[in-house]
Amino acid sequence: MEKKEKSFNLKLYAAIAFFAVAAALVLMVLFTFKSKYTAFHPEEVARNYVDTIVQTGDGYNAYKTALVSRNKKLKYGDFIRKYYMYPVIYRETSYKPGDKTDDLKGFNDETYMSEKTKKDDGSLQGQVIEKMYPYYVQLTENGWDNYGEIFTKYFEKLVQVRKDVFGDDYMTDEIMFTALESNVKTFGNSLTGTEDEFDKNTKKQISVKSIGEYEKVYGEDYKFTSSVTGEKAIDLKAYKANIKADKFAEYGVSADDITDVKCYTVEVKTADGKTVTSANVTVAKIGSSWYVDNTATDTTPIYSFYK
Amino acid sequence: MKKYMKKSEIWTFGIGLFGVALMTGWMPDYTATFFADFAFKGKGFNPETMANTISAVFLVAGIVGAVCELVIGYLVDNTRTKFGKVKPWFGFGVVPLAFVAMLVFIAPNTNNQTLAIIWMFVIYSLYTAFSCAVESPSNCFGSLCSPNPDERSSAISIASFLRSVGQSGGMVVLMVVAYIMKIVMGKQQYQNAEGRGLDLLISTAVCALGLILFVMIFFTNNKENVPYTNEKVNLKDAIKVVFTYKNLLMVSITKLAGFGRGVYGTVSLYIAVYLLGSKDLKLALLLPMGIGTAVGTLLVNLVLKKFSTKKTFILFCVYGASSLSILFLVSRGIGFNSGLIIPFLILNFFCGLQHGNTNVTPNIMIADCVDEIEYKTGKRQDGLAYAGYGLFSKIASAFTKGLGPWLLYTWSGYMVSTDANVAYAAQTDATLNKMLAIYTIIPAIFVILQAVPILFYDMVGEKKEMIVNALAQRREASKANDADTAEANA
Repeated sequence: MEKKEKSFNLKLYAAIAFFAVAAALVLMVLFTFKSKYTAFHPEEVARNYVDTIVQTGDGYNAYKTALVSRNKKLKYGDFIRKYYMYPVIYRETSYKPGDKTDDLKGFNDETYMSEKTKKDDGSLQGQVIEKMYPYYVQLTENGWDNYGEIFTKYFEKLVQVRKDVFGDDYMTDEIMFTALESNVKTFGNSLTGTEDEFDKNTKKQISVKSIGEYEKVYGEDYKFTSSVTGEKAIDLKAYKANIKADKFAEYGVSADDITDVKCYTVEVKTADGKTVTSANVTVAKIGSSWYVDNTATDTTPIYSFYK
Repeated sequence: MKKYMKKSEIWTFGIGLFGVALMTGWMPDYTATFFADFAFKGKGFNPETMANTISAVFLVAGIVGAVCELVIGYLVDNTRTKFGKVKPWFGFGVVPLAFVAMLVFIAPNTNNQTLAIIWMFVIYSLYTAFSCAVESPSNCFGSLCSPNPDERSSAISIASFLRSVGQSGGMVVLMVVAYIMKIVMGKQQYQNAEGRGLDLLISTAVCALGLILFVMIFFTNNKENVPYTNEKVNLKDAIKVVFTYKNLLMVSITKLAGFGRGVYGTVSLYIAVYLLGSKDLKLALLLPMGIGTAVGTLLVNLVLKKFSTKKTFILFCVYGASSLSILFLVSRGIGFNSGLIIPFLILNFFCGLQHGNTNVTPNIMIADCVDEIEYKTGKRQDGLAYAGYGLFSKIASAFTKGLGPWLLYTWSGYMVSTDANVAYAAQTDATLNKMLAIYTIIPAIFVILQAVPILFYDMVGEKKEMIVNALAQRREASKANDADTAEANA
């Protein structure tokens, strides 16, 4: 019996199995990662940027694949906090973007909470969001290219509106994100329309059917498809020479980091093949990933094509 | 009594089960998330159809798993190789399992919803079948690692402890993978990759690699020390083993009788939301219980040195029901407010101790039942004995999955938020108290119920000793017989 067992080398089998499976797993991960992670594909980065904006008018989330989100240490959300939210929350301190906030007393301190804030079950916060919506629509009428102005003005207004509703100056980044992201979503719904929705458990209606702006113009069964239709050559040296250095510094990017640049024309078509809008999107390569250069891309037309 | 295992074998058995649990503990929840949120993102598939499909995928996989338990058990008992009867199953089965587990997280790039649905059914059923072919035999190894019941109990205890650690290992892998991805890619780019489920893909690869590594250590270092009997087992006998041997049936029925123990899992997210203030704190809520479970697993080993398996099981059940009742009473006394958080988390640790018992003791009892069946029939049917227990476990798990949501969403009167800006609506005191009951008192009742079948279990004391000795004599006689035959042939 023992002699027979020696004829099959268990340890050799184990070693071969381990290394063979390890190699295969690595290949599977690399292949899948490469095909699914769009940042490795410049055309897909450009197409995806336009598509995110055109499908729901959402320039806010489209920035997640742009240079504005390139900073390795900061998420896009952290970038907004650092440059646009904290200056509002810590407006009575010496805060400058990049400063630590641990020792600063801002309006996110609980001492600024009114009784209304403490007792709110979400309904007053809902009122604030509703009141902010027309202002959001007004601010983003020409798109999100000037994001700095949108964030600054929106949060300034939010402070006023919140004070009218709650009667206090209390303000946190969470309140700011909740209001803004809710307005972004509502705006998207105003374009696409909504369906009747019922809660699975209580069967109560939680959303009412509405006709969106896109549906009014292109019909209820409209479908937008984005695709890259052209590429324009860009000289890397000239591009680097013309970058907006101050903005790039905010993003944690220098001209030396960029190793390639391309510009794609992305067209948006309806199901019958008719082009409804297009944009030229500049993408820059840093490391092995591509990012939309939001400082060199004009997206204004893709916010207004249906009007 | 003679010792059969090297010290390293006791640990490598546990390491093997750790590796298997690392993969199988990770898969179900994260597969559901992957199918629902990432696999076909942006494809425009009907969300309601997809949600219903995912439920059906898990239902079908449950049935496939239950059938596979019996089939694999039957096949294991008919396996005769130079490595033994269970070793080839996990030693060779682990390679395809690693690949199939990986493929679950590589969805086809299709815009055809029907194709997507077919793929989900096929790939997850395949995964279930392969995981059954590896997990069931590796658990079954406990009864074959040593004929010495004390040595066997110690090995099973340590292995069960490492298995319970392995079940949460996937969560740690995910956290580490996320941390490394953030450093390498930057925070926002990580989030973009996470949005495509790529962190799940890498974590699965790490778990699969862990599975191969740890199972191979187990495979090369451990040997089956209980010889298999040569009689073939037919299908009729196979089913008979699972349903007709009283002691084995009683151990299996504990799973069914105690199926409601697990409903606390359904409500834990809401306890985290309404008591701790955030759904992200679910881990903080379950961590003390998890630590309690790990400690309980080691504690059981000590108790088993003083008491029989039967007494240990009943003792821990009584303790478990008491600790849950105390948690309920303390919670009602303090009220559902922030003052409850610390006592709640501390008591959660003590409630976790009982889970050590359900992880360890039944496995030791099954090994004893295999001895009893071998004593009565002359056939050693480890595979089927564990398969029967696995089958009942899967049925119990299906009942738990049915009861938990019903208790939470219907019985408790839970109110869903109708405001798009509010994730979780405020609940009435009556609802919060019912949630508390789902977390404490209702599981406590089932903990007591699971002890009832064990009252009829009698493979303990003198009977167990007599059977172990008789089997040892039989094996000695058989060995001597083999030696005589070999001599005569020579």
